[in-house]
Amino acid sequence: MIDLSKLPAINERYRMFSEITSEASADAEFAFSAKDNLTAVGFRARAGSAILEGYEPVFDAACVEKMRSAGGFLVGKTNMDEFGFGSFSVNSAYGVPRNPYDAERSCGGSSGGAACAAAVMDGHVALGVSTGGSIACPASFCGVYGMAPTYGRVSKHGLIDYGNSMDKVGILSGDAKDLGRYLPVISGEDRRDPTSCNHPPLAKKFRKLKSVALVRSETSAGVDAAIRAAEEELRSMSVDVEAVSMDTLRYALPAYYVLASAEGSTNIARYCGLRYGRQDGDLSMKFDDYFTSMRSQYLGEETKRRVILGTFTRMSGFRDKYYAKALGVRNAIISEYKKIFERFDAVLTPTMPFISPRFDEISGMSALESYRADVLSVPPNLSGLPHVSMPCGYSEGMPVGMMLTADHWNDDMLLSAAEDWQDRFTAIPPEVSL
Amino acid sequence: MKIGLEVHVQLPTRSKMFCSCPTEGDAEPNTRICPVCMGFPGSKPSLNGEALKLGLKLAKMLECSIPDTTWFSRKIYFYPDLAKNFQITQQETPVGLGGVYMLGDKPIRITRIHLEEDPGKIKRTSDGSSLIDYNRSGIPLAEIVTEPDISSPAEARKFLASLLADIRHTIDLEPDSERSVRCDCNISVGKERCEVKNVTGLKNVERALTFEVVRQTKILRAGGKIERETRHFDEERKVTTSARKKEFEADYGYINEPDLGTYHIARMASEIENKETPMEMAVRFENDYGMTAKAARQIISTDIRLAGFFEDLAAATDTETAKCLVSGVVSSNWKGFEPTKGSLDDIISMVRRFKEGKITDVECNMRVRCIMTGDEDTCRICSEDLDKIVGRALDENPSVIADYAANEKAANRIIGAVMKETGGTYSSAEIVSAVRRLITERL
Ligand SMILES: [Zn+2]
Repeated sequence: MIDLSKLPAINERYRMFSEITSEASADAEFAFSAKDNLTAVGFRARAGSAILEGYEPVFDAACVEKMRSAGGFLVGKTNMDEFGFGSFSVNSAYGVPRNPYDAERSCGGSSGGAACAAAVMDGHVALGVSTGGSIACPASFCGVYGMAPTYGRVSKHGLIDYGNSMDKVGILSGDAKDLGRYLPVISGEDRRDPTSCNHPPLAKKFRKLKSVALVRSETSAGVDAAIRAAEEELRSMSVDVEAVSMDTLRYALPAYYVLASAEGSTNIARYCGLRYGRQDGDLSMKFDDYFTSMRSQYLGEETKRRVILGTFTRMSGFRDKYYAKALGVRNAIISEYKKIFERFDAVLTPTMPFISPRFDEISGMSALESYRADVLSVPPNLSGLPHVSMPCGYSEGMPVGMMLTADHWNDDMLLSAAEDWQDRFTAIPPEVSL
Repeated sequence: MKIGLEVHVQLPTRSKMFCSCPTEGDAEPNTRICPVCMGFPGSKPSLNGEALKLGLKLAKMLECSIPDTTWFSRKIYFYPDLAKNFQITQQETPVGLGGVYMLGDKPIRITRIHLEEDPGKIKRTSDGSSLIDYNRSGIPLAEIVTEPDISSPAEARKFLASLLADIRHTIDLEPDSERSVRCDCNISVGKERCEVKNVTGLKNVERALTFEVVRQTKILRAGGKIERETRHFDEERKVTTSARKKEFEADYGYINEPDLGTYHIARMASEIENKETPMEMAVRFENDYGMTAKAARQIISTDIRLAGFFEDLAAATDTETAKCLVSGVVSSNWKGFEPTKGSLDDIISMVRRFKEGKITDVECNMRVRCIMTGDEDTCRICSEDLDKIVGRALDENPSVIADYAANEKAANRIIGAVMKETGGTYSSAEIVSAVRRLITERL
């Protein structure tokens, strides 16, 4: 029996959910949550956007369906940046989740609500979605484990798209073992999503991580110290750690923002207040005026910015310079990763260059500054590579995360590595008193 | 004058292009829809392989080159009948490129053929509001784009009729009303071209183009300049009106469709055994039946089904008889004739009777015309038994019976009258014997 009586109070404090179940208890094997861009019958699916207010999906996302049939009880939909557009979960129409370690700080994004739920609720499994780091970033900021599998490993049926060629459903949890327990549950080919794949099937083979390529980068002093300590710890676990440089990585961020915005802007096109969600505009208007008025009113600022950015990069005359070029950059980055995987089992980096920023710092950031926060979490996402963020230290009382990236379809190695790491690392859980 | 066409044909798949909704038959508005063809958030398209196969068949028929791999693109524009506000189409890798279509002796170059999904339908109501029916949303379309090789509105119509017959033959498209064809027509009389969008049906294509010829010619004669623009054809008033100037020309912002994969089609294409193309058939007719190139193309370009019938008839009778009949009475009555298996078999058995000497060539022609046209006068004569006609003639001249008893030559009066009435349908031997027989019965 799962006791859900405290859920409303928890959510009141942390705002990690955009919608919670109305039940007080449930007879189920385990409790899980789904990010609000995953459809689930019985819940609205609004993806953090006001324009989707009222959208009640008629089908479960594949991952939700699989978790339910494995005995899971869906407790709620977790809060997120609108359509995934953000790194701090502040771009939501349904409140801003508070960091469990410091309520004045961000949970990270865009799966901020999911990371918060994973950090605060015991034994909770949170389904998250990553496009450019939306699982790793909040996992790092909230001190939990977050795994984004190989692109195609988990069906995207029922996922409200952001950047379709990069979107991946993954899992966040306070317990590394949950990743290995539930990722196989939600994995597998699905005819309803032609990009899904099951070659090879995900099985835990307990392959040990033997070598990592450490890519150093510009980070805050606190993050740097935590990573250096983790490096030593890994060596003591008989993992070879060797520093390498990856020259193409600096192109990952611009290539990612071009591709993700180009795809994102086409996905956002369908939201025009006509067939679902908000439909309360003045229908006597001409259709294009109606669309403009609904989109102006109900899409958030960051969404508008990305729609404009994405539309620009695919306009004739600019398309080759931006969109087509970014496709080429993606291939170059994948090639560089592949070269590294000839010598190493995984790439190690900090997950984020700094600890979670305070909300007042975030509101002072320009769009470009906040995009730069994703500099380390973007490359594996752009390349469709599996990656896991793990807590590896604390700075100013806030968690620091490190990220392991493995070659395509080597998800099982990361699952083992996360469990091994959890055995050695002493996590400091947030103080949650209710 | 240069005319180029973009022809949209719905492909006869059982389910839609990216979902399992049915495509066939009429249905109440918005009953053949699902989250995919409605573009509901979270839904994903999956390609119906049958649509790809039909597209490849057409690409082969049009002698296009087929790429090794193909993928889809998103074409983004905002319109209420477009469920996702983008259309899944093919931009960079169409299933076919650089083909040719022979219209009689004239090659019409084919720029490309690509696949895409149909949008829904908008219905305007009398109170000025609009209703949207998404049943059509997601039905697979092939778009065939020609080079500007067509030189008159009449030729455009001829091309379309001929192309459609071949398309139907190639992919077993039901011979339904010509309205299922939609065309974008590009036409330039002078240097600048205009595009008339979304014209439905062969007749309207010719009308819209003819209107444009007159309009553009008038402007040029008056020393004016043609503005490059998109125009709309008003079916009621039979005129084209300006829809969008060039400076507002849409930028569709194509990107690769990331929800679908890359399809390796070279193998699939090589495994497709297309029915013989019309061009190939013409060559075979020359060789097998000793036809001139012109005669062979004449039959085939009239209707591929006419060519098929010629072969059936030649097999049932002989080449010379079939050539004679098909180039004569069958060709001249083909327009407006809806051939069915039954009607074609009737014609064949009629020609057999002629070959066996049971009916004259004149009767044979008349009976074939009756089967094909259903023309009343022709059919009345054909359907009546010779005995009845003779009997009526005897009823009208009862004295002949008595006269005949005295002198058999009295029968000639009846024979002459019946010959005159039947106009050569029956041989004189048949008439003579029928008249004699019937008079003897009444004696
Ligand atoms: Zn459908």
